[in-house]
Order: sequence, then structure tokens, then C-alpha cells
Amino acid sequence: MKYPVEIKHLHKTYQRRGAWLLGKTEEKIVLQNVTLRIGAQEIVGLVGESGCGKTTLAKVLLGLESYQSGSVQVNGLELKELSKAGFKKLRRQVQVVFQDPYSSLDPRQTMRQILCEPWDIHGLHKDKEQREKALHSLVRAVGLDPAHLDRWPHEFSGGQRQRIAIARALALEPQLLVADEPVSALDVSVQAQILNLLKDISRSRALGMLFISHDFAVARFLCDRIAVMYQGRILECAPTEQLLCNPQHPYTEALLAAVPVPDPVLQKSREPVSLKIETNRSSCPCPYAPRCRYYEAAQCARPLPQQTEGDSRFCACVRLPFQKEKSRYAV
Amino acid sequence: MDAREDIILSVENLHICFRNGEEKTEVLRGLSYQLQKGKVLAVVGESGCGKTVHALSILKLLPPGGEITAGRILYQGQDILSLSGEELRKLRGAQLAMIFQDPMTSLNPIRTIGKQLVETILAHTSCSRLRARARAVHLLKKVGIPNARQRLNEYPFQFSGGQRQRIMIAMALCLNPSVLIADEPTTALDVTIQAQILKLIKKLQRQSAMAAVFITHNLAIVADIADEVLVLYGGYCVERAEVKNLFAQPMHPYTQGLLGSLVSLKRKEEHLPAIEGYPPAPGTPEQGCPFAPRCPYAADQCRRVLPPLVEHNGHTVRCWWVEQNEISCGN
Repeated sequence: MKYPVEIKHLHKTYQRRGAWLLGKTEEKIVLQNVTLRIGAQEIVGLVGESGCGKTTLAKVLLGLESYQSGSVQVNGLELKELSKAGFKKLRRQVQVVFQDPYSSLDPRQTMRQILCEPWDIHGLHKDKEQREKALHSLVRAVGLDPAHLDRWPHEFSGGQRQRIAIARALALEPQLLVADEPVSALDVSVQAQILNLLKDISRSRALGMLFISHDFAVARFLCDRIAVMYQGRILECAPTEQLLCNPQHPYTEALLAAVPVPDPVLQKSREPVSLKIETNRSSCPCPYAPRCRYYEAAQCARPLPQQTEGDSRFCACVRLPFQKEKSRYAV
Repeated sequence: MDAREDIILSVENLHICFRNGEEKTEVLRGLSYQLQKGKVLAVVGESGCGKTVHALSILKLLPPGGEITAGRILYQGQDILSLSGEELRKLRGAQLAMIFQDPMTSLNPIRTIGKQLVETILAHTSCSRLRARARAVHLLKKVGIPNARQRLNEYPFQFSGGQRQRIMIAMALCLNPSVLIADEPTTALDVTIQAQILKLIKKLQRQSAMAAVFITHNLAIVADIADEVLVLYGGYCVERAEVKNLFAQPMHPYTQGLLGSLVSLKRKEEHLPAIEGYPPAPGTPEQGCPFAPRCPYAADQCRRVLPPLVEHNGHTVRCWWVEQNEISCGN
């Protein structure tokens, strides 16, 4: 089977320059051995705490960040080797929706200008009448009113702006949408509208999606598969239902346990997980060992399992398969 | 037990306006509630519904242009609005403490966090600098900041967002206030840290009978921490009830919609029942019920006349239909 997006053993580091003349350059690893693929029309969720590298991975996939080693292929094209013209072509295949619709739309462009810009750049819909028609159908597809095409972004509410951002991403009819926390800046009632929209669009337009979120509930609603990231590594990756109902990695389990549930009786009886960090475990190959509640010195000193191709389920824990006490946290 | 004696904070018919030249925008239109010792009231609503403005007004911290046009705020029977600057200063921080929404901008960037914490303590007590410092260390440890003693000499930028938020919380709690006002205290945090902080607040509330007004749009947090819930919409209180009743039997169509549009971690849904439309802009001249334009039950009367707040089955609701028992309660 052919995968539109193949990320293999991706490594990325940021360099931090030390003090002037004297200091050494420091390297900070942000992505380590990341292997992930996204099938045609598949929605893959990427979940993790802030600073774990989710957004960096998205930027790499969009060609906005370089990487040191490994390979990132979109439709068989290696991103590292792409020319400027190649990147322009890539933009027609991969598009992005950002988190904050207040800063991702140019305040000095009307909705019409915002939506037509991609077509101008790529030379599409040059015929005036045809463009107007395409514009209207695009705007309707995201649930906006074509009569508002000449309004400015500040005249729209947060939810409407996010719809404009989605329309802009869809203008070039990409195969893959990278959505970086597209609903976390929105009100609850509007969040549901946007999630429904994303789901409908992904079906009607045969769209694959990398959906970045820190919210498992949102990921469950939308995603076919979920990858859990911690300190630049993917610790667990599995089909949504399997991951949520039977989390295998201790970190996934802890994350799930921390999600509050909107039920006062149930929520008040739950016990949050400890976040204590045991610094003496830092030599361990597993990045999560210092916080892990199942840590065992002898076992956890072993090298982590490697992700192999064709695995439907992957878990980077050396103690697998291990018997957890019946999980208190599984959903 | 006489419930009256336990009332620590009471807000009566609070109206707040923002003035921009001749233009007047009414953002809060008659809010009343009473808060008892050791209880947590959650104020829920979407952006622009007046929830943050109401919190700021309790400490008389409204931004320029903001003005309380009617109503009273009583703290232990004393009208806060009539207090002088000096009297207010004694109250703020020591009795009434606030956790602000944005930890990035609420700390002074050019002073160490130790100085900022010690300053707060010294301003209200007559203890020595050394004791104040010891107390600051103790509090930082309590909110889960490792190496508290050393980190006291660091500046806000040396802390992560979550840590800064926790420092804000430590600062708010350092004098054992009797009322804590928390404006979206955990919005910027990851679920794991959020769970930790909610646990801390609950513990303090149990230990020292601290009362709290918790402002949030996250209903799962409400379920976790609140005793009573007040739902704001378009500057009006639309429903008030005990937390268990509210979640079990939401009565106002808006509350029902909010709870319905939550994404669940428990089950996979095909389509979310979102509330159509968008929340009204602040100060939209209202005639009738503020929710009528989005309400599935709206009738002619709803669009013309504002429904009064009525008691019904332990809920206080602002809806014509509840009074007539037309809406089936609950889901």
C-alpha cells in the first residue's frame, strides 16, 4: 500500500549558541527517531504535552523547518531534496490550519483577498466568472455566507475566522491538511461546529489529516489513529479505539487519567497521577522513565523497541507485554 | 446552621458598562449571587459574556473605561465599591486574592519571583524578611516547583508557562485568602499539570475553608471543582444550580447545548450536536432573551421580552419555556 506521507527515523535538533567567543554550541534534540505515516484519507492524531515537539513535526512536514537526518516523503518526494519550485508544488498537496485564527489571518485583507491569494500564486481559476463560482462554492463548503466575502477579518467571530482559515487551506484542494490545534482557541459551542466541519470535509474531499491536539476527547472524535509524543519521540501509536480503551504505554495511561471528565460524580472520585520526577533515573534509555510509575531498574535499562514498518500498533516500552494492575484509568 | 452567616461574598444586581466616548456598551446586565465559606462557584460562559469583567470588578480592577453602573458587591457585609484606596489595598491579596488569566504578562519581568512573592507577604504582615522568604519557598514547593530555594532568585522568563502559572497561584495563595478569584487559571496548561493544580486548590479549600469563584469555559473542570455553577450568556445569568443538578438536568437550552456539544472521551460520536450560530458580541442591543437567535425552542415571545430568573426544581433559570414546563428537562 502506498502512503502519501512517510516519515522515517526523523531526527531534528535545535542549536543554541553559547556565550560569545567562549561558550560551546549546545544542541537540543527536538525530534528523535520519529517514524509515522499517514495513509490516503486517513486522519492521524498527534497528542502530547506542550513542548514535546508536535508543532515542530508539523513544521517539518510543511517544509517550514529543516531536519538533520531521516527522511520525510510526501507522495514519494523527499522534502530535503526539493527545489523552490518543488516546494511550490508541495503547497498544492499539503496545507495548514493554525491554532489561533486571530493571528493567522492578515487583518488588512478581506475574506475575498485571503481566499484568492493561493489561486493567484498558483495561477488557478484565472477566468473571472469561474473564479467567482469557485469562491462561492468554497465559502459555502465551510459554512460561511458568500455575501460576506468583502468583509475584513475583524468583522468575524473566532469560529468564523477559523472557517476562513480552513477555506484558505482548502482553496488549492490539497490531499493533506495539517491542523495544529485548530479548536483549542475557540469557545466550547463553536468548537463542536468546527470539529463537525473538519470531519465532513475530510470525508467529502478525501482529505488526509495530521491533527495536532493535546485533547484526547477531540482526537477521539476525529482521528483514525493516534500517536502519543513525549520529548520528541513517539511513545505509542495505535488505532484510536485501541489506544484509548487499552493504553499500553504508561505515559498514555497517565495522560488519559489526567483528562477531566464532565461528570461531577465521576470526576470527584478520580485520583490524579503523580508528576514527580525521579532524577536518578535519567540515565535510562526511556525518556519517560523518570516519571514512570512502573519503573524497574533492571528492565528499563534495556534499549527501547524500534518501530518497524507495517506495525499497526507500536509502543516504545521495554516492559511490554507487561501486566499492569487493572488500569484505573482506561476509558 | 444559619446559611446567612456563612455568606462571605455577595454580588447584587451588578451592571457593568464600558464607555468609549459617547458610546456605552453594557457587558454585564444584572448579576446576583452569594458565595458561602468553603464553597466553589464556577462561572461558565463563552468569550464576551462578561465573566472576566465581573471577576475584575470584585477587586475593583476594571480597566479604564469600565464602570460599575449599578449594584453592590459585599465582602463580609462590607460594600467593596465604597471602600477607599487604602482600605482596598488591605483587602486585596490578603482577603480577596486573584489568579489572572495570563501568566505571561501578570508577573513583573524585571524582578525575581522571590522578590515578588516576598513583597506580597510583607505588604500585609509584619513578619521579618527571612520568614517571608521561608514562606515563599514553602509555597513554591507546594505548587510543585522543584528546587524552590534556588529558583527564588530567578526571573519569570526562566520558568515555563506552566510554572509561571503556578507561581501566580502561589502568589495568590500566600496569605491564605478567604476568597480566591480564579480567572481561567488552567487554560494555558497541559492536562497533567492542570490536574495537579486543581488538586492543590481543592486541598487548600478543604484545609482553610477558602471560598472560590472559578471562571472557566471548560465544563470538565467545573465538574471537578465546583459546588455551584452559574451560566452566563450575553451578560445575563441564564442558569444557576448545584453542580450535580446542572450536569444531570440542565434546564436552559443554552446549558443543554453546551453540555451536548462536549466531545466525550467515553464514546466515539459520528456527529457532535453543536449549537448553531455564534455568541453575541458584547453589548449587542438586546431585546428579549439573549439566546433566542440560537435557541431551537425560540418563539415570538422569546424574541420580544426578556424572561425573568425563576426558581424551578432547585435551578434558577432564565427561560420562558422552563416556567411553562415545555422543555423536557435533561437529555
